[in-house]
Amino acid sequence: MDIDILARGLVAGSLYALVAVSFNILYRPTNVFNFAQGELVMLGAMVFASLATVLGWPWYAALIVTLLGVGLLTLLIDVVAVAPVLARSQHGTGWVITTLAASLIIANGVNRIWGPDPIVVRPPAPLTTDTFSLAGMTVSAYQIFLVLLTIVLVLAIEQVYRTRQGKAVLAVAEDREAALLRGVNPLRLSHWSFFLGGAFAGLTGVLAAPVLYASTGLGPALLLKGFAAAAVGSIGNNRGALIAGYLIGVTEALGASLLSPGYQEAVVFLLVLCVLLIWPHGLFGRPFARTV
Amino acid sequence: MAASVAKSRSLPGLLAQAALVVLVLALPLALDPNGYALFVATQLGVFVIAAIGLNLLAGYAGQVSLGHGAFIAIGAYATALLTVDHGWSFWLAALAGVVLSALMGVLMALPSFRLSTWYFAFITLAFAQVFEKMIVEWRGLTKGFAGVVGVQPPSVFGHVLDPAGVYWLVAVIAIIGFWLVNNLIRSRFGRGFVAVRDAPAAAQAAGASPARLKMLAFVIAACFAGVAGAFFAVQKTVVTPDDFTAEFSIFFLLTVVLGGLGTRWGPVVGALVFFLVPELLTGLESWRMMVYGAALLALMLFAPHGLVGAARSLFDRLRPKQTEPAAQPAETVPPEAAHVERPAISGLALEVKDLRKSFGGVVALGGVDLSVRPGTCAAIVGPNGSGKTTLLNVVGAYYRRDAGQVLLGGRETKGLSPQQIAGEGLGRTFQTPRLLGELTVLDNVLLGAYRRERASLAGTMLRLPAAASETARLRAEAMELLAFVGVADRADDLASETPHGHQRLVEIARALMGGARLIMLDEPAAGLSMTELDRLEQLIRRILALGATVVIVEHHLDLVASIASHVTVLDRGVVLASGAPQAVFADATVMAAYMGERALNEQAPGQAADDAATGDVSRPRPAPVEGA
Repeated sequence: MDIDILARGLVAGSLYALVAVSFNILYRPTNVFNFAQGELVMLGAMVFASLATVLGWPWYAALIVTLLGVGLLTLLIDVVAVAPVLARSQHGTGWVITTLAASLIIANGVNRIWGPDPIVVRPPAPLTTDTFSLAGMTVSAYQIFLVLLTIVLVLAIEQVYRTRQGKAVLAVAEDREAALLRGVNPLRLSHWSFFLGGAFAGLTGVLAAPVLYASTGLGPALLLKGFAAAAVGSIGNNRGALIAGYLIGVTEALGASLLSPGYQEAVVFLLVLCVLLIWPHGLFGRPFARTV
Repeated sequence: MAASVAKSRSLPGLLAQAALVVLVLALPLALDPNGYALFVATQLGVFVIAAIGLNLLAGYAGQVSLGHGAFIAIGAYATALLTVDHGWSFWLAALAGVVLSALMGVLMALPSFRLSTWYFAFITLAFAQVFEKMIVEWRGLTKGFAGVVGVQPPSVFGHVLDPAGVYWLVAVIAIIGFWLVNNLIRSRFGRGFVAVRDAPAAAQAAGASPARLKMLAFVIAACFAGVAGAFFAVQKTVVTPDDFTAEFSIFFLLTVVLGGLGTRWGPVVGALVFFLVPELLTGLESWRMMVYGAALLALMLFAPHGLVGAARSLFDRLRPKQTEPAAQPAETVPPEAAHVERPAISGLALEVKDLRKSFGGVVALGGVDLSVRPGTCAAIVGPNGSGKTTLLNVVGAYYRRDAGQVLLGGRETKGLSPQQIAGEGLGRTFQTPRLLGELTVLDNVLLGAYRRERASLAGTMLRLPAAASETARLRAEAMELLAFVGVADRADDLASETPHGHQRLVEIARALMGGARLIMLDEPAAGLSMTELDRLEQLIRRILALGATVVIVEHHLDLVASIASHVTVLDRGVVLASGAPQAVFADATVMAAYMGERALNEQAPGQAADDAATGDVSRPRPAPVEGA
């Protein structure tokens, strides 16, 4: 067993944490766990790859268009598939099925447009995916950048929740009606959350592209592992998601090297089952109390 | 529009069902015994079996399984491997498959049952995804991509079944499965499932454990999937990983949604329609998932109860409107309302000592004492946010207390779940009525009897005489209670279509149905008209006259002053005053806390109680202001 497992685990874990954070952004004010999130990450990777690699746009232009595009599509999911179902009944299984339906539509649509071949994406100029040896680990500059950027992003988002707007988000999560009375418009907040959660998923796709390649098959695996990170790290808790992401990334890398790469997902799944069996609300507490 | 759990069985309906059974069983006589049509018909039967189980789980219990294909795969692989490789008989192998499928299901479901519904959806989705990979990877067991070849049909009394025989077997099992599940849906379990889906707190108030009900629904669904899987293997004779992709699970979900989630005929109709459609979809193979997704989305948005639901609402609209009962004002009191004799209730005492509960930094209850003697009515009043409902929720164990004692009939309730406390005789209503809108008023009252029913699961599913007579007895009692609260004329209406005032009365009937000896009413007068308020007051008096204890949280101080023998005023989580109503309402501090200073210049509620002795009011130390 080599120390490379740790490097691989941290890189993959950072990506899973980012997916989990995109779940959380969307979940906190809406209590909706978007089943289309995995495909949105994939879409972000594909759009960015097409613009930056295939069309040769500068990376920042491609990035902006990707974030806006995926964000708006997610907003559309809220307007078409989630808000109408939630208006009919607050609790209920409706949005599980409608967001899953959105996921199927996106996956099939993207597959039709781009086909199965992955697109290689190079990181912007000073960063490269060329590997070198660092403390016995084989890493690339981009991988180090990715791990550090993830930490920065998680901390930055936690700061946002401390602001006035951020507190409004949490208020709606606690009690939709009470927040309404205080002048917070839950529907508008919900639309914003979908937009931002989607844009973040797009960003995750962009960041994942140089590591995983942009391919239409990315969705389901990222959905599963993003969920794993979010659930193990306690839903809504972004720092928890980061640590859980690392845990899952490393476990997966271990499983792949000890057993076989084919067992990766089974190992992650078992880990999630065990954690939830012992700590139903994840490793990092229970941020919100449910009300009767 | 939506399915009623208990539908009266009409003669034409029964005849139609009998005709359908005959038609289904006679089908092979009209088909080529080795032809494609019979093959497809058998497959349809297999899918109906799986869909019936999934509909029970997702439609009635509200737990969406996105990986149902994996449970069918377990049944199919177990049957195929055990018969082909180990020479087991089909029946033993199928049994093993069913047990294995149910066990895997329990394992999968255990962690998610304490969490929100979507966890379950996610875990089943992930399970199917992992399982799909595993059957390819774990070659030693599953033979990888090659799959298991040469599954033999079962034999009955030494005869190996021909394709028509397999069809008959599948058809009979599908029909029996349909019957069993329908019996279950009509029973207390069915009402419990719907309660878990629509109002888990109401299920708990009725003494039903949501976790156990979810588990039951899941085990039954997994068993059906296991049976379907066994026949899937037999019917196809080859089992390969390609049969059980993620698409397969989505296909089942769509089948059930298409037919109508939570409708009795939904799975049958859905599977039938779906079998006609793929012929149309062959040209659109590469668009299949898009079509599935669009169909799921459109159905959930425009026809949440699927084809069956849509047909039913169309039928309701076309049917000539008969004498509309809604034409008369909702408030008229049926004349017989007051004349129902009910057996006496031995009321429970409630003793609350130094009860504490905080949410984060906010102290909701900062050491509350309350003492209610059996058979009396105690009122809890106080401004919004003073902790009244929290007090009820902690007493009922809906919230876990931080510290303090709650004695119900002299017994400490610490560690009991809400449903166990309900079983001890604590009934309650909710601030906003938690009725099951898609069930009738009568069914809502019957939900209250959940814990009293003795019939076993098997007895219920098989409609054994003991279970049937118990059902009839409870039904009569529920009707009597509806008459007692004065809404007997609404028994067959859907709860969602009854006026708000009636819904509150139905909740009280539900609590009484559960054998409540202490009833907690959470703002029962909110939103009632003057007439309805009168009726409510009379009803509470009659409940008290039977001997039950009543704890009422209420803002309507006239009502409180008239029925309560003891009033407790809460303010910011502590008892501001308690005592006889006249004395408490005469207390200046109470009025200041409750209504603001200006109220002091006006008259106190109830009687003009200026002369009442304020000395009777026991006032504890001033409220510590915390968490502000």
